[in-house]
Amino acid sequence: MTDFTEFHAELRSVAGDLLAKSRDVEWSSLVEAGWVGLEVPEELGGAGATFAEVAVICEEMGRAAGATSYLGSAVLTVGVLKALAPSDIRDNLLTRVASGSIRPAVAMDSHDFIPDAEGADHVLLVTTDGVSVVQAHATRRPVLDETRRLATVVPDGPAETLRFAAGATNPIGLLRDRAAVAVAADSLGIAEAMLTATVEYAKVRRQFGRPIGSFQAVKHACADMLVQVAVARELVGAAVESVVRGRADASASMAKAYVTGMAVDVAGKAVQLHGGIGYTWESGLHVYLKRAALNRSLFGSPAAHRRQLAKRYR
Amino acid sequence: MTAGFREHVRAWCDEHVPRDWRRAQTGVPETEFVRFQKAWFAELNAAGFAVPHWPREWGGGMSVADQIVLYQELAAHDAPRLVLAFVGIHHAAATLLAAGTEEQRLQHLPAILDGEIWVQGFSEPEAGSDLASLRTSARRSGDAYIVNGQKLWASGGAHADWCLLLARTDPDAPKRQGISYFLLDMRSPGIEVRPIRNAMGDSHFCEIFLTDVVIPAANLVGAENTGWQVAQETLGAERGLTMLELSERLAHTGFRRLVAMCPTDDPVVSDRLAQLEIEITGLRGLCRRLVENAHDEGTGARNPADASIVKLFYSELLQRLTDFGVEAGGLDVHTDLAKPMSSGWESGSWLLDFIGSWEWTIPGGASEIQRTIIGERGLGLPREASTP
Repeated sequence: MTDFTEFHAELRSVAGDLLAKSRDVEWSSLVEAGWVGLEVPEELGGAGATFAEVAVICEEMGRAAGATSYLGSAVLTVGVLKALAPSDIRDNLLTRVASGSIRPAVAMDSHDFIPDAEGADHVLLVTTDGVSVVQAHATRRPVLDETRRLATVVPDGPAETLRFAAGATNPIGLLRDRAAVAVAADSLGIAEAMLTATVEYAKVRRQFGRPIGSFQAVKHACADMLVQVAVARELVGAAVESVVRGRADASASMAKAYVTGMAVDVAGKAVQLHGGIGYTWESGLHVYLKRAALNRSLFGSPAAHRRQLAKRYR
Repeated sequence: MTAGFREHVRAWCDEHVPRDWRRAQTGVPETEFVRFQKAWFAELNAAGFAVPHWPREWGGGMSVADQIVLYQELAAHDAPRLVLAFVGIHHAAATLLAAGTEEQRLQHLPAILDGEIWVQGFSEPEAGSDLASLRTSARRSGDAYIVNGQKLWASGGAHADWCLLLARTDPDAPKRQGISYFLLDMRSPGIEVRPIRNAMGDSHFCEIFLTDVVIPAANLVGAENTGWQVAQETLGAERGLTMLELSERLAHTGFRRLVAMCPTDDPVVSDRLAQLEIEITGLRGLCRRLVENAHDEGTGARNPADASIVKLFYSELLQRLTDFGVEAGGLDVHTDLAKPMSSGWESGSWLLDFIGSWEWTIPGGASEIQRTIIGERGLGLPREASTP
């Protein structure tokens, strides 16, 4: 356990450093850092790690509001490929993804709002039968969040369907959970960044002759943000573990519903507590607020996930 | 976790948790409540489940992983809560173990296992959130102290054998540096205990009036005028495992009862239920982490405000949950006025539980105080100018 804690801390630190240099990180840099192939088996050129390590990167992406293709072309792509029955085609795709020679994207329940499909080499179409690897025409869907690229994809024609691994129960459900939890981890990073920025600002910004962080109204708002972040961290941790273990349980919906909603609240409160400067373009807080809002809508709204949870009460 | 421990606790619960205790403990007089609490404590103690958190040489020594399992299973089996023994097994024991003399430990720790009941004498009419401004005085006279003053909100004071008392021994020192910590025998002459009816009509809170009460100097805990530090070190003693137990009860008895009562085909109701379930799940995670971190210091991962985060989130979540129980239950809940003794905060009588939830958002540091602690100690925000 301690080994993993240390490993994650190191991964987090390296990721933080790289993403701090620039919000826009090239695909090749992600490949070079080893993040794209984290979950790819070592014999196929990857690191043989798990979704737990991927989630660390997702959280750092959120913390930096990183504009990368990591979500669609690494987190989802590798997850989809690893859900397939072993085959030369699959292994070849995984090898090429890990080496950076191809950058695919994944379309799961719809062909619309597909993350990182624009400019992708292939689109992996997930259906109940399995996965089709197709060439597709992608049309960008402009969104206010400048850190994510979404597109509508139109497949160029039929393709062979690769089967899911034998014995896998509900592979699509697990892939949906993976997507939801990856976004929840991203939102956790957003909220942590917004809390840190707000606390730092409240310590130095002075009004009425004292730091605004000494006022209870500001202090208590920051305390509430920390409480929400702490709860969110537990929910993400539990959900990540379920994805790692391939458990289809309620934890993914819990994390997606709570954490992506919470991040919008926290980013919104961060703008508020920064006062006028928080509403400026230059402050950059709006970038986080917009990303948090998009995260909340991606892969199922909080209400939709709560609806899933509530089916268990009948 | 010890192999087979969960199965062992389950089997024990199946055999020992009184089947019908909720009904049997509804509307009973105080004497029956005290008898039932003491009997249940003795039964837990016989199984080694009463003070698992104590050191092995005093009768505890259970691993943290096993303690977590124990409290999870007690909650899942809807076992009665240890209400009367609470201050004794948590605060009194933690105080004696941290700052007591060997004589004090030998006198009281075995007695607590035999059923000695303790009450906390900290708050006063003019010292609530600002506890350090307490005015009850203890004046040294020979090998004893003479105590005069008034204590408030002493939960269970009417049944207590002993009291953890904070009193001012140096009126001229800065307020936190003139307080001492005493063990007070509640049979001492000059003590008068008056119950206070709380918002629910119960009277387990008490006022304690102290008039020329003599406390032997041997009953001082720690050095004279260090009582504030002793209290700070031991006040948090109940937080980890108690919060874990309460969060498990909120999940089991609390949420399960709520779902059973609610019209779950109503999408608005089920949405609110899902939100509550998510928050309870997050709380349970926080509590497990709090307990594990408390026993695994040195990792640097521990935030000084963690206990406050848990207390704040639990108490307000309890309030939201019971509030929703009242709202969802319609007019019927307003007639359901029977709350079993020993049931804690999820008795199933939603209205009484809701009214009772302020017993968590106010005592032990009100929510407003917790937010200040979280802001200052957890986030490093500057103190208010006027705070000394």
